[in-house]
Amino acid sequence: MSAEQAAPARPLSAEPVAGGRRLDTAESNRERSQLKRNLHKFLVQNRLNLVGLVIVVVFFLLAVFGQTIAPHDPYAQDITGSKLLGPSLSHPMGTDELGRDLLSRVMTGTRISLQVAAVVLTFAVTFGTLIGSLAGYFGGIVDEILMRFTDMFLAFPALILAIAIASTLGRELVWTMVALSTVFWPWYARLVRAQILSIRERDYVTAGESVGLSGPRLLFRHILPNAIPVVIIQLTLDIGYAILATSSLSFIGLGAQPPSPEWGTMMSTARNYFREAWWYTTFPGLALTLTVFAFNILGDGLQDALDPRSGQR
Amino acid sequence: MLARLIVRRLFFLVFVLFGLSVVTFSLSHIVPGDPARLMAGPRASASTVDKIRERYGLNDPLPAQYVNYVQGVLRLDLGDSFTTRRPVRDDLARYLPATLELGFFAFILSTVVGVPLGVLSAVKRDKWPDHIARFVSISGLAMPVFWLAIMAQFLFFGQLGWLPDGGRLPIGSDPPPNVTTLYTVDALLAGEWGTFATAVRHLLLPTIVLAYGSLAVITRMVRGGMLEVLNQDYIRTARAKGVAQKTVVVGHALKNALLPTVTSLGLQIGLLLSGAFLVEIVFSWPGIGRYAVEAIQRLDYNATMATTLIIAFVFVMMNLVVDVLYLFLDPRITYS
Repeated sequence: MSAEQAAPARPLSAEPVAGGRRLDTAESNRERSQLKRNLHKFLVQNRLNLVGLVIVVVFFLLAVFGQTIAPHDPYAQDITGSKLLGPSLSHPMGTDELGRDLLSRVMTGTRISLQVAAVVLTFAVTFGTLIGSLAGYFGGIVDEILMRFTDMFLAFPALILAIAIASTLGRELVWTMVALSTVFWPWYARLVRAQILSIRERDYVTAGESVGLSGPRLLFRHILPNAIPVVIIQLTLDIGYAILATSSLSFIGLGAQPPSPEWGTMMSTARNYFREAWWYTTFPGLALTLTVFAFNILGDGLQDALDPRSGQR
Repeated sequence: MLARLIVRRLFFLVFVLFGLSVVTFSLSHIVPGDPARLMAGPRASASTVDKIRERYGLNDPLPAQYVNYVQGVLRLDLGDSFTTRRPVRDDLARYLPATLELGFFAFILSTVVGVPLGVLSAVKRDKWPDHIARFVSISGLAMPVFWLAIMAQFLFFGQLGWLPDGGRLPIGSDPPPNVTTLYTVDALLAGEWGTFATAVRHLLLPTIVLAYGSLAVITRMVRGGMLEVLNQDYIRTARAKGVAQKTVVVGHALKNALLPTVTSLGLQIGLLLSGAFLVEIVFSWPGIGRYAVEAIQRLDYNATMATTLIIAFVFVMMNLVVDVLYLFLDPRITYS
């Protein structure tokens, strides 16, 4: 369905078919202006997408510069003077039970979240794409074996499988990354396989085959690139979910450990003070919610922009 | 046809369960450190550790250990919990009902609210019911369930004092006579109105918090499905014939719009089961989620693996039911 639409049927661009370098410049111009129109529609006509984009940009900036521009040292304790202070001018988000500034900790925490998401999804996309393209391209018994293997991972509720794996491997952030990679890749394998199955039936692929292009070349130059848009949509949505899953694992004591300013870890401690210090749980949770929200909005918006059918809704 | 489908699914189920057992087995055997040492405790002598190793067959080659493990699972012998010192099977039997009660009511709530909200949102597109529905579905997908739980607890227990902070019943009070293991239903059956009211008050916050996430998904799916169906020719025809709006929406459109939602039921169950892990900790709900998390924190591998296995089993079985249900609902599907 949407997979079919999301990958526009491009000609064999930049490929020496019948002697010419490019098939058609008019074609590529049209594509570019189409892209501009889509971008306009995406950001200007839909304000929500713009909001999502702004939050995501802020999130990325904080991940890079957060610790540097934070007003206080996120690890500096002051248990005599500033324990569990409510929000004020000098501590806009208040302080925690060790007198650390929450705003600085929330800002510093963005980097941890982004790092985990980046590592997990890099692995998931790479491995998932590999398995998915092998299954989709070769079909038959290869497809059957690889896909049943993939289905096995999907038979568990994802978060619970991640919890089981992480709890076995150990309570460190790196094991959480391994656990989350294990639960995220099967979705990409399925996605890429479905894409490849639909793309390889297209005329230009048949044309490529008939002029004698070799298998790997066909796969890597002509089939896989067309599966990219769908993967990007999924990736955008999954960044939010990977961050959410990391925090959930940290919240139950796996993943990041205190004194790490990871949002879930902070809330895990904050829970013990929920009666006297509302701000302690509120702000890390709000930061997490906003981040996931922004990536969701952006993913949805991308889907609408790349999938003309869903845009009509 | 139906029989063939079920046979196929059961075959796949065997395969999945085999996979499950391999995964949980490997997980419990790549444990860093020595499981026998863990079981014996840090102060045990070397000979005690050896005895434990002998008793649990930890000296056998891995394939033999695997066969041993599977035989155990088939006999429903899931080993002993290191922390509670009871068979894990007994622990699960004790804690599973609480999770089922919570999950059951959360599922009912999310469906009963989600489906009408989705329909309303599609019919009143871009009006205020639609805005509410979209807020619910966007926030429900983005909010961490454990955060929502803490916030609800802070507001309704800490600030307003309307509802209890957790547990199934107040500490020290007796549960109703056991019939269905669900406290609310059992209390009704026994005619204990007071207990019923207390159980409901305890159930309220965890249920709403747990339901919110899947409510969001259901609302979103029903809305999407309805919008697509309402644009179809046969709806226009029905309207042109003068069929009442209510009949068009409920009788003609909803039936077809619900199909994708039914497919996502499996996903809902997964969401509810994983959500239960987090909600149960916050509300001290004595279910298997809290049991598992406590087991994880105490490195109690038998309990952790058994819980994972049970939850995955429940998940797979429910998905089988959903597949069969789907076939009944949509005769066009053939699962070839």
